[in-house]
Amino acid sequence: MECYSEQICALAVDGELAPDEARRLRDHLATCRRCRKLVDALRAENHVLSESLHELPEEAASPAVFSHLRRSWVWGDLAVLAAVLALGSIGAIWFDRLSIPAALEWFNPFSAGGRTNLIFSLFDFASGGTAMLTEYAAVVGFLSLLLLLGGGALLLGRGRLRQPGLRLLIVLLVLSLPSFALERRKGEFVTVAANETVDDTLMAAGNTVRIEGVVNGDLLAVGQTVEVSGTVKGDLLTLAKRTVVSGTVEGRIYTFSESLDLDGQLGHSIYGFAQALRVNERGHVGEGLVAAAGDISLEGEVKRSVDILTSGNADVSGSIGRDLTMSGVSLTLTNTARVGGNLSARVRQLSEAHIADGATIVGKRDIQVQQAKKSQFARPRFYFHQAVWFAAAMLVGWLGLVLFPRFFRSTTQAVGSTWLSLGLGVGILAGVPVAVVVVAITLIGLPISLMLFAVYLTAIYLAKIWVGAFLGRMLLKPSGATKGDWMLGLLVGLLILAIVGFIPYLGGLVRLGVVCLGLGAFAGQLYRASRPAIMA
Amino acid sequence: MDAKRNMAKEPQPREGEPRQMEGLGLESVIERAQGHDVEALGEIYRRYVRRVFGLCRYMLTSREGAEDATSEVFLKLQRSIESYDGSIPFPRWLLRVAGNQCIDALRRRQRGLKVFVEVEEGSAVIEATSSEPSPLGAVISTQERAQVRDTIARLPENYRVPLVLRYYGELSYDEIAHELGLERNYVAALIFRSKQELRRRMAPRSK
Repeated sequence: MECYSEQICALAVDGELAPDEARRLRDHLATCRRCRKLVDALRAENHVLSESLHELPEEAASPAVFSHLRRSWVWGDLAVLAAVLALGSIGAIWFDRLSIPAALEWFNPFSAGGRTNLIFSLFDFASGGTAMLTEYAAVVGFLSLLLLLGGGALLLGRGRLRQPGLRLLIVLLVLSLPSFALERRKGEFVTVAANETVDDTLMAAGNTVRIEGVVNGDLLAVGQTVEVSGTVKGDLLTLAKRTVVSGTVEGRIYTFSESLDLDGQLGHSIYGFAQALRVNERGHVGEGLVAAAGDISLEGEVKRSVDILTSGNADVSGSIGRDLTMSGVSLTLTNTARVGGNLSARVRQLSEAHIADGATIVGKRDIQVQQAKKSQFARPRFYFHQAVWFAAAMLVGWLGLVLFPRFFRSTTQAVGSTWLSLGLGVGILAGVPVAVVVVAITLIGLPISLMLFAVYLTAIYLAKIWVGAFLGRMLLKPSGATKGDWMLGLLVGLLILAIVGFIPYLGGLVRLGVVCLGLGAFAGQLYRASRPAIMA
Repeated sequence: MDAKRNMAKEPQPREGEPRQMEGLGLESVIERAQGHDVEALGEIYRRYVRRVFGLCRYMLTSREGAEDATSEVFLKLQRSIESYDGSIPFPRWLLRVAGNQCIDALRRRQRGLKVFVEVEEGSAVIEATSSEPSPLGAVISTQERAQVRDTIARLPENYRVPLVLRYYGELSYDEIAHELGLERNYVAALIFRSKQELRRRMAPRSK
């Protein structure tokens, strides 16, 4: 009897042969060793195929898909929370008889307040709208804390979400702990009177915030005008149009103001971002000054170094204990100016540096035109900074891998869809600041927009980690997917990114690209994770 | 239709995690799901998402596409589960739905998907020549299995899709033919040829 073809045998092994033909083949197999061997081999092959296919690679156990349902529960819960928050806010506004258009007016760049730039218009809103904001920020804050805690407990109770629920609770508790020691004050005028002492950290929001008494903790002030004529024992953090310190701040000043005037005593340093920053004649800074500002004027005393970046002029007539490092359009040192260390200045033109003959400069003078940048590679500090940057990035990567392994891995893989991620990233990079501003004037208001902004900044920071990890894996092609492999990939990827980032011109472009790619991958993954699988 | 072919309903230990619904048999879970019980749908998702995603991943090659297709399958399941009549085992039915979804996705991606519509005359029967590599031997090591997967993933679509539907989805030739809109004979030929192609590609690597 003639032997069967391989295709017929294959059909038989697949169970696809017609019954009578299958019977005939079986009879043949009983006598033909060659065909029997072929059928056995084909059967073994099928087994291999099916076994290999069924053993899904680790990567295929998709984090995004696998946890779709679970995430959809989370997002469902979050949606409920958001709805309640929104309703709460609307209720609060209703009770306050404050309407959104009134709030919008503050933001209108074409209004009287719009003479200043857009950002400061936002602050106008922040300060002007504080009556409304703080009114319901407290309610909303309390509600959201309760709801989030309740939601966290709910997730825990459901069992299937024990891990993420627990993490959420931990994060919430950590975040809310500082707020227990907070004292909040709000109103048109917030005043701590001369004979008054606030023992906690004070969070003040109002049109005018005036501190005449003593704040034993930190002072966080949001308003049109923030004046400290009393004493703040901790740090002063202001978000205001005008910040004036004529009293004493024993800690540091962090400011984001249109103008900052220091007439009083400051224990430590100023870190500022302002249009105009002035340390007046009676002003005294216990440590240094680090600031980016339109114009800077130093008439008083700064005990340590001053590092400033200005888009305008820097005028120094006071005393600086150590070095003065500046970069800007012009620099003026008057006869009374004194620099205890080196002066290094980058000005637009050499003629823009006016150093009076009477000015004292103890150390070296180094005045250059801006383009002639001293190579950062020559400074050891640069390498130290890089090492810290690197270690921090690795630590963050490791934390990501340990806490959110699936999300971390899938986001890294999402970097692979280059153009999609890049496009999405560019959109987000440009779009989120706009969204932050828009959210600030809508229902939920400033707190949410600040949170959004924080997330945005975090995502920008994380971008290089996703891209680094992706790059590393692409180059190394590790066979495994253990944490060690991932960390090695991240190490290599970050190293390459760091080195490429320092190529002149191209480096900047690469960094921008990395940020866009990483942002896009992150956002894409968040979106994918948020799409419900079963819950419509 | 080869629906009568007795295929054991697998308990799917791989997919399930200890849940309150775990104790329930598949039939009652499906019954509840047909009554729009969200928990039951969730249970089905938990049990089969890996299988379905695996199929989509093999068929669509792109991870995102596979994720999208998987969500689509489970999203549609809310409605389509009513049409499940128990004539074939549920996993196979579900994988058929998933296969269908993937084929749709492939068709959308490359308008027409010529490879599946043009039936070559006379190609239904192929004689194995002596020069063809012999069937893949008993591959045992994890690494070799990964190689097989890898090679399958790289096969051209017209080979990969039927192969995956048959050996991962465990669909019959008839079902595959129905899904792809092809003659059963052509499907048989495709599967046969794709195995030969697979062997050829595996040959330099394995002995």
